Amino acid sequence: MDTMFVNLGPQHPSTHGVLRMGLTLAGEVITKAVPDIGYLHRGTEKLMEARSYAQCVVLTDRWDYCSAMPNNLAFCLSAEKLLGTQVPPRAQTLRVVMCELNRIASHLIFLGTYGIDIGAFTPFLYVFREREMILDLYEALCGARLTYNYIRLGGVASDVDADWISKCREFLEFFKPRVDEYDTLLSFNPIFLARTKEVGLISQSAAVSWGLSGPNLRGSGVSYDVRKSEPYCGYEAYDFDVPVGEHGSCWDRYFCRVQEMRQSVRIVEQALAKLPEGELSAKVPKIPKPPPGEAYAHVEASRGDLGIFLVSDGGAAPYRIHVRAPCFINLAILQDILVGKKVADVIAVLGSFDIVLGEVDR
Amino acid sequence: MIAYFRLVFRSTWAFVEGLWITLRYLFKPSVTVQYPTEKLVPYDAFRGALLFDPATCIACSLCAKACPSACIALESQVHPETKKRVPKVEWYTLDLGKCNFCGLCQEACPTKPKSVWHGLDYEFAFSNRDEMVRCWKPGFPLAGRVWDPKKKAFRDLESHIPVRDVEARR
Repeated sequence: MDTMFVNLGPQHPSTHGVLRMGLTLAGEVITKAVPDIGYLHRGTEKLMEARSYAQCVVLTDRWDYCSAMPNNLAFCLSAEKLLGTQVPPRAQTLRVVMCELNRIASHLIFLGTYGIDIGAFTPFLYVFREREMILDLYEALCGARLTYNYIRLGGVASDVDADWISKCREFLEFFKPRVDEYDTLLSFNPIFLARTKEVGLISQSAAVSWGLSGPNLRGSGVSYDVRKSEPYCGYEAYDFDVPVGEHGSCWDRYFCRVQEMRQSVRIVEQALAKLPEGELSAKVPKIPKPPPGEAYAHVEASRGDLGIFLVSDGGAAPYRIHVRAPCFINLAILQDILVGKKVADVIAVLGSFDIVLGEVDR
Repeated sequence: MIAYFRLVFRSTWAFVEGLWITLRYLFKPSVTVQYPTEKLVPYDAFRGALLFDPATCIACSLCAKACPSACIALESQVHPETKKRVPKVEWYTLDLGKCNFCGLCQEACPTKPKSVWHGLDYEFAFSNRDEMVRCWKPGFPLAGRVWDPKKKAFRDLESHIPVRDVEARR
């Protein structure tokens, strides 16, 4: 049979950014799929080599723009390792609150956009309503709705007050029953199930060998979460579960995220209940100059295991920085699992990976 | 046959459930805002357009050093007789096209009240690139003016941005 080469993207809405997929088709069946990246490349890692550590935090916001707090956190944890800084308990707890709220906001975007990919528009409107409430909380606290620059070297930028905490609790109470609504609207909708169950299957061994992380890995049944395996910011003190899927299908990956939102609510509730008093930040020089050496820190970001490798030569700017971006690594498996699928499944599979191209191209 | 009718029933039920949720929200107050006729006021911490007060600035350059995107430039005044620099700003420019809105300049500013700070204005729709580059000299308004290269003179902003100062933050 003759084959045909088709470009999917880079401007297709379901490519979630500027991903281009080169698909070779035999009729409707894919014989080869090549993800082509680089349309958004901004050279952040190189830019950081000319900026102080405090200024670098600003640039981290731009990687995963749907969930920038874990980016801030990963960089700060890595730089704090180099500096040997001890972060005060209140700042640690606030970091946890912010990152978990951001996980909810990020998964909400996934939920809405994945619904649109499959053909359901209504959930998209509802998830943005809830996300707005989280962004309002962020705006009240750190003044930004997308590029937060809230988590700083040694701590956080500003403190929460009783009013903010009560608003946050109100949001959590409002949000909990909403997750059940998403289940009704989307998770157990027969059309959605028909499009996602048994589609884009990834076995446990394939998921591990391709280096997947986050809900994409856990959807295949591998219970790996950095918050549990290498706890940071005191995550070991929180009681939460790591949701895992069974078959590694698109639906499993989707439903892992839905369950994670419930777990994030639990974590935020616990964090707000035990928010300790004290300092917001450790004493860090305005222009820190860590001793020569290298450090690696990783966090469980909304899309997976986000790691930062920093090398210092003793100067005010990092000598070298490398980012282990989860989306970049998650994307590689596409060329393997799309072969033999139909074109309509490409959208369902690609959407289920929840990619953000800002992080892929950096 | 039974399986077929079961599928029809389940699909219809899922359809009704979805519609029921939509119907419930139909009679609740709307969460959308009819922008631009209706505008939201941001929180006090909001990092909007940068404002500058030449009267309080001591020309220490800490804001320019803190800026990760190098969008701030300034020059201090020179005493006419001694020819030494004095802690007053001669001119101050800020390129909002490059600005990250990170707030590091505001944090670095040592004066009380602060000389550079984020206002609450979020409407940045400029008809040309020049308007993004704001300039301040002593006596200029807090939102700054723009340099008109054709007339070779400063002019006020064409796209008017109402300035709402946040005293608490300064």
